[in-house]
Amino acid sequence: MLMVLTPTLMLVPTIWATPAKWLWPSALLHSLLIALASFTWFKNTAETGWAFLTPHMATDPLSSPLLVLTCWLLPLMILASQNHLSSEPLNRQRMYITLLTSLQIFLIMAFGATEMIMFYVMFEATLIPTLFLITRWGNQAERLNAGTYFLFYTLAGSLPLLVALLILQNNTGTLSLLTLPFSNPLLLLTCSDKMWWAGCLLAFLVKMPLYGVHLWLPKAHVEAPIAGSMILAAVLLKLGGYGMMRMLIMLESLTNELSYPFIIFALWGVIMTGSICLRQTDLKSLIAYSSVSHMGLVVGGILIQTPWGFTGALILMIAHGLTSSALFCLANTNYERTHTRTMVLARGLQMALPLMTAWWFIAALANLALPPLPNLMGELMIISSLLNWSWWTLALTGAGTLITAAYSLYMFIMTQRGPLPMHMITLDPSHSREHLLIALHLLPLILLILKPELVWGWAA
Amino acid sequence: MNPYVLATLLFSLGLGTTLTFASSHWLLAWMGLEINTLAIIPLMAQHNHPRAIEATTKYFLTQATAAAMLLFASLTNAWLTGQWDIQLMSHPLPTTLASLALALKIGLAPLHTWLPEVLQGLDLPTGLILSTWQKLAPLTLLLQLQPMNSSLLIILGLTSTLIGGWGGLNQTQLRKILAYSSTAHLGWMVLVLQFAPSLTFLTLIIYLTMTFSTFLTFNLNNSTTINTLATSWAKAPVISSLAPLMLLSLGGLPPLTGFMPKWLILQELTKQDLAPAATLAALSALLSLYFYLRLSYAMALTMSPNNLTGTLPWRLLPSQHSLPLAISMTASLSLLPLTPALTALFTL
Repeated sequence: MLMVLTPTLMLVPTIWATPAKWLWPSALLHSLLIALASFTWFKNTAETGWAFLTPHMATDPLSSPLLVLTCWLLPLMILASQNHLSSEPLNRQRMYITLLTSLQIFLIMAFGATEMIMFYVMFEATLIPTLFLITRWGNQAERLNAGTYFLFYTLAGSLPLLVALLILQNNTGTLSLLTLPFSNPLLLLTCSDKMWWAGCLLAFLVKMPLYGVHLWLPKAHVEAPIAGSMILAAVLLKLGGYGMMRMLIMLESLTNELSYPFIIFALWGVIMTGSICLRQTDLKSLIAYSSVSHMGLVVGGILIQTPWGFTGALILMIAHGLTSSALFCLANTNYERTHTRTMVLARGLQMALPLMTAWWFIAALANLALPPLPNLMGELMIISSLLNWSWWTLALTGAGTLITAAYSLYMFIMTQRGPLPMHMITLDPSHSREHLLIALHLLPLILLILKPELVWGWAA
Repeated sequence: MNPYVLATLLFSLGLGTTLTFASSHWLLAWMGLEINTLAIIPLMAQHNHPRAIEATTKYFLTQATAAAMLLFASLTNAWLTGQWDIQLMSHPLPTTLASLALALKIGLAPLHTWLPEVLQGLDLPTGLILSTWQKLAPLTLLLQLQPMNSSLLIILGLTSTLIGGWGGLNQTQLRKILAYSSTAHLGWMVLVLQFAPSLTFLTLIIYLTMTFSTFLTFNLNNSTTINTLATSWAKAPVISSLAPLMLLSLGGLPPLTGFMPKWLILQELTKQDLAPAATLAALSALLSLYFYLRLSYAMALTMSPNNLTGTLPWRLLPSQHSLPLAISMTASLSLLPLTPALTALFTL
């Protein structure tokens, strides 16, 4: 664990000491080396499930895919930000990369935490760099509101979580994830126990986000710069899912009944946000709502609490992380050229940038869960486990799949096909950097088809 | 101000607080509080303009009322129990009266209304003394009282956090914002007073550090309203980039130091089966966080050439580098990993 954490910590002095000419290549190289080192976390052979154990941090089959995704994303974020920051003064560029690196450090410590309070502190700690990314480096005036919504929605959910964790510590004496699954099952009978149950999960439901408390996400994703959108979509949402999967072990007896409304909310959210996607004019907003839709399915899979549900949720989280981040990168390539996110203005790009169309095509197909990509594997496992719980969910999940296909194809056809507008015929050709960026997103996704055991979680 | 006069006044301030620290007899403690009040009056009025005189008068009246109430409470206790010792106050009526008197002295809600107006009339250094040094002596006395009425302190605490949060939301003057922030933090301190006085002490020390760095930052930028904060990036860029973190630390966000007292207080409250009170206090911290966030937006997160919220000032000679500010800023940002050490250090 320290083998990856220490280089990430040392990346901060590296950024500030590197001469200007080598700043971006050096940051990229070092973060790529850290990402390669993080692949060692996939090797999980411990009997107890916990590997790479230190007194405060460890990995297990649930957290190691998320950790590797986090480490993989830092070089991609640096690659994506290089262009739009090139006009800023040098120290601000250093500050930006430092923010990305500090976010990385907090995320590694969050996913690797073995104690719930450490996870909580790191979960909250990720809010500060993300807030700075959204409100300081966003591009429109709406970013102020976006930052406020982001911070307060998440905090309003997570302060009750802190109280709930302290109550749990009072009852069981420990919050260590190594021993908590083996403690005595809690006798949860009273109304205040039910409120404690809700307090444990609310923070993660807001973070995921669940449909009713999702309003922060379109604002935050749209207003953030590309690195902010990437890390938000790919990893920060998954913090919610990861937290839920950890907490649900403790909440055993109540979840059978109390999860009912949340599963329905989640599935209804899949349909609703999918339908909203069909009516979006802003490209990033469409991708943001698509994130809410996929995460709704993940919430359903987690709250079902079966092995297939958990496995499907984890696979979908990883696959969606890569896909959504790739889509945001593609949208950013358009934005950097046209400075608009409106789809009717930046359309028909197959005429101008045909190579990008190939990437758009693969990313759109991944978004609509085309076989044999892992997106389909995750969605299918979740849909099956939901079906096992109740046949009626098939109406919602089936319609959800249909609507997902509809808006993914709508996004592709709108941006790529059709006539090229006359005002956009002088666009920069695609940079190799951009091709590399999207390739590094989609290549792991395709390679995961060959060995999905890496991201299966405990079912392995 | 004449340096001899200033030295005498500051010495008297120190004397008053030390007298209260060192005393076990109510009359001596009361005398220390009175010396403190009398010593800070000339400091408040030193600039002689009507707003400062108004603030001084209001301060004197409220503090005199509180001191009279405190004297009355200790006399009543002496009459009822024959005891003059602070720690042996055993009758509930004088204990409640003394708690309320001390609450008026430090500005706990609902006895807080004097604090914003008084703080607004002072300049930033004197306001700093009012917000930090003047809280020490009354809190020492509160720490030593044996509270009979367990719900009084909890009500005072919760009311203070809520009013401190809501009151500061509509303010644009920095000193009033800091007054409401002071009320809110004092509310947190008082919430846990009867269960774990060491946590009150720890919260006090951390609050002092954070408020000290906030006042010094505002003094460095020579700013007293939110609009003038917007130009701080031009005067002191490094401080402008650290100040949002310091304000978020005041708001209690992990992983900054300000999270430590809130976390430990919530832990103690849940151990005492006061989980609803704990949740209410935690959510009221969000109110305060909103105006701290607004201040950090003004200082650093809305930078030119995007949104210029104020006109640029003359770039005069930069103020001298401040070692106390450096130390307190570092302390208010990075002490969370040292929680076990600090808990052990500040144990009563």
